[in-house]
Amino acid sequence: MKIASRLVLLAALGGLGFWLWTVLFPNPEKVVLGRISQLAAVATIRPGDGAITRAAKVSKLISFFSADAVISYDVAGLGARSLSGRDEIREIAAGGFANVKSLAVRFQDATARVGADPQSATVACTMRVSAGDDKDFGIQELRIQFQKIDGDWLMTRLETVKTLQ
Amino acid sequence: MPDATGKIVCSQLWAELRFNPVVQDTNAFSTRPHWLQVVLIGRRPVATLARIAVLVALCVVTFKFVLLPIRVEGISMEPTYHDRRIDCINRLAYWRHEPQRGDVVAIRFSDPPPFSTPHAMLLKRIIGLPGESVAFHGGHAYINGQLLDEPYVKNPCDWEHPPVQCGPDEYYFAGDNRSMPFEDHYKGHAKRERIVGKVLL
Repeated sequence: MKIASRLVLLAALGGLGFWLWTVLFPNPEKVVLGRISQLAAVATIRPGDGAITRAAKVSKLISFFSADAVISYDVAGLGARSLSGRDEIREIAAGGFANVKSLAVRFQDATARVGADPQSATVACTMRVSAGDDKDFGIQELRIQFQKIDGDWLMTRLETVKTLQ
Repeated sequence: MPDATGKIVCSQLWAELRFNPVVQDTNAFSTRPHWLQVVLIGRRPVATLARIAVLVALCVVTFKFVLLPIRVEGISMEPTYHDRRIDCINRLAYWRHEPQRGDVVAIRFSDPPPFSTPHAMLLKRIIGLPGESVAFHGGHAYINGQLLDEPYVKNPCDWEHPPVQCGPDEYYFAGDNRSMPFEDHYKGHAKRERIVGKVLL
């Protein structure tokens, strides 16, 4: 009985230790997917959000990108375009955030793949966006490249993927 | 009459005990459950719980891995599939054979994590098979230069598009609603691995 209780205690301690390890040193996939969830929360605008909140969200959004980040998109209705650098992304984001009544962004079916060097990762996901009171929504497949820069996982490239070629 | 091994005697004894009305009545009287308990969890709660667990497990496996419930959003499959229609995707439809021309299938966007199902899919009809070229002239689809008979297309259109070649593992997908402008209608070719399953109804 004593041995059994000791074994149970040992197993519990082992489990606790493993859990603490994953909390203190999460694997890069989890960190990157966490960044995607944070990005969705930052890019979501509620109808009651004022100009200051929106400006703060733009600044926060920019902090997810590296200084030389590139956004490349080809979407029906918007055409093909590429944005380079934080300043250009900030300009477009500020314009977009100011003009929408509300914006709901969700990333679904996200999978992360860390590169051979644990300093880079690629995320494949599906973005679901609905703007304003419009019940319609847009769905777009994305590929996002992350790089670990100064301890932070930052987006270096975000591009749309054509599901049907 | 007992046989050489005595097995019949044993089973007869057991049967007697089981179907003896006196024995049953005595037991039933002493442990008769409350009627509310019978209504809510049955006479044998453990068996009821086991049944519920099996049912839940069956439902989870069926509706997560075999039949995916979907709600159609949009008009690109009109008039065959209307907006807001509820249906299911059969994930095992192509277990034994490859997708066929005319099948209405669900196409995934990004690959979901393991043991997960896609949250959003495209609902389209297969009109081109691997290796074929698909073109649109005067609103009609042409496969390798041959006019494709499409009885499901009810609305006339004026689509014009040069031939698009499908790869060896690619299918060409389009919606049934050809009254939409060509640019607004999401169509094209994609790899076989993107097909999640065939629509059930």
